[in-house]
Amino acid sequence: MVELKQQHSKPTPIVPEKSVSGRTLMLLIAIMTFLCAVTLGGVILIQKSALAWSQDVGREVTIQISPVEGELMDANLRLAETIAEATKGVANARALSIEESEDLLKPWLGEGLDLTELNIPRLIIVRLSDPANADLETLENELKIIKGASLDRHDVWRTQLNSMAGTIVFSGVLGLVLIILATLLATVFATRGAMATNREIVDVLHFIGASNRFVAKEFQGRFLKIGFRGALIGAIFALIFFVLMGALSSNILPNSSSEQVSILFGTFSLGIIGIFWILMLVPIIAGLTAFTSRMTVRRFLSQIAW
Amino acid sequence: MIEFENVGLRYGDGPEVLKDVSFSIEPGSFHFLTGPSGSGKTSLLRLLLLSLKPSSGTMSMFGEDITNLKRERLLELRRHIGIVFQEFRLLEHLSTFENVALPLRVLGQSEENYKDNVTELLEWVGLGDRMHAKPALLSGGEKQRAAIARAVIARPEILLADEPTGNVDPALSERLLHLFAELNRMGTTIIVATHELNMLKKFDYPCLQLTENGELNYG
Repeated sequence: MVELKQQHSKPTPIVPEKSVSGRTLMLLIAIMTFLCAVTLGGVILIQKSALAWSQDVGREVTIQISPVEGELMDANLRLAETIAEATKGVANARALSIEESEDLLKPWLGEGLDLTELNIPRLIIVRLSDPANADLETLENELKIIKGASLDRHDVWRTQLNSMAGTIVFSGVLGLVLIILATLLATVFATRGAMATNREIVDVLHFIGASNRFVAKEFQGRFLKIGFRGALIGAIFALIFFVLMGALSSNILPNSSSEQVSILFGTFSLGIIGIFWILMLVPIIAGLTAFTSRMTVRRFLSQIAW
Repeated sequence: MIEFENVGLRYGDGPEVLKDVSFSIEPGSFHFLTGPSGSGKTSLLRLLLLSLKPSSGTMSMFGEDITNLKRERLLELRRHIGIVFQEFRLLEHLSTFENVALPLRVLGQSEENYKDNVTELLEWVGLGDRMHAKPALLSGGEKQRAAIARAVIARPEILLADEPTGNVDPALSERLLHLFAELNRMGTTIIVATHELNMLKKFDYPCLQLTENGELNYG
């Protein structure tokens, strides 16, 4: 009796656990989940960066003063600063030094640049204390007294940034849906294969009076396990991928490149919400796999003999 | 318990396998089903197992008209029927104990509840020491006894057996039929399909005899 208790403490699954199709499907689900998680993580990173960038850009405007013959650049810069700081809703205004302008152009024009030899426009960064109520119309009008001065509200940038981010997020979500659909289709084929392989088991279960629900439950349980394991493996690899990419971008790229990558794409930090959604893919994909399998089994059973 | 009235059966558009078959079987009776190869014994057993629908005629079992029942109800009724296949049809990845316990597992019983019953039944059919062996390690006779144990573990009202002695030696055949007779004495209705005339002579039970063209003689 003791021996019996030990040997039968956990009944053997009616659908055999070890089958080639099960391992293949688990690998496929792991790969699909990895792709889903990377897409989702990418979408989250881009959305986070676009939002942060849009907010940053919205908190400041730029006065650009182009060199005009006969005009004193330094005097014009000081005048523009004064006009800006007197405008409602402006926190402060600061003209970029020649060195700062050189730093800005370094990633595009290279090191050792001497701007004094070039006749380039100078910039004044105007920080807004209250972006919604800043009187930029007045500022723009008053700047007309300075020859070569113009106000850049970054509207074009913001619109382009938002539409680019929107397009990437939409493409990412579409990609996610397609990957999940492909996973479910693979599950349908794998389930059909499993049903065909295990047809003898299905027939025996029917002959001893098992209902379709019981048979479907047995297969669903098997596919839930496969889906859960596969999705977990895929999600873990995706999280490792993001950690490695974060480390790569901050350690391997030169500092200036790393900074530019950060400015353009943000850091590779998903944050709690990103990690949460990637982990949420595990039960979602496992559940969808089990549900698809159950539906396929029910359909298969309804088509076989009386 | 079982009523067949002018039952005919054909597969698809093929010829009729069974023609105008009519008979009735009382609860607690024992019948042999005989006939030459291809006469439709297995098809008749499949009708009795509710895994085929008659193409014509009416068929009732357990007081219900089978021809009009829904699939799920048929599966429920099937739980009152045990079946022993000629080729055993044990699940290879399960132990003898688990194979025999399968009908109870399907009924939703936990191992704790059925463990003693299954063990007792396995001892009764002489497989007490083989309960942890997988079917691949069992002899033909052991497999057949395991299949019989699986068929009767849920105490079916009807036990169907398709050539249960086809794969065992004559001595074991006789023992198996004594086993069926014992189950019949305990109240189970038994129908055994066989083509072994020696068995029919040894056991004095009524016989449903199928002819080559799928008609039935009762005798």
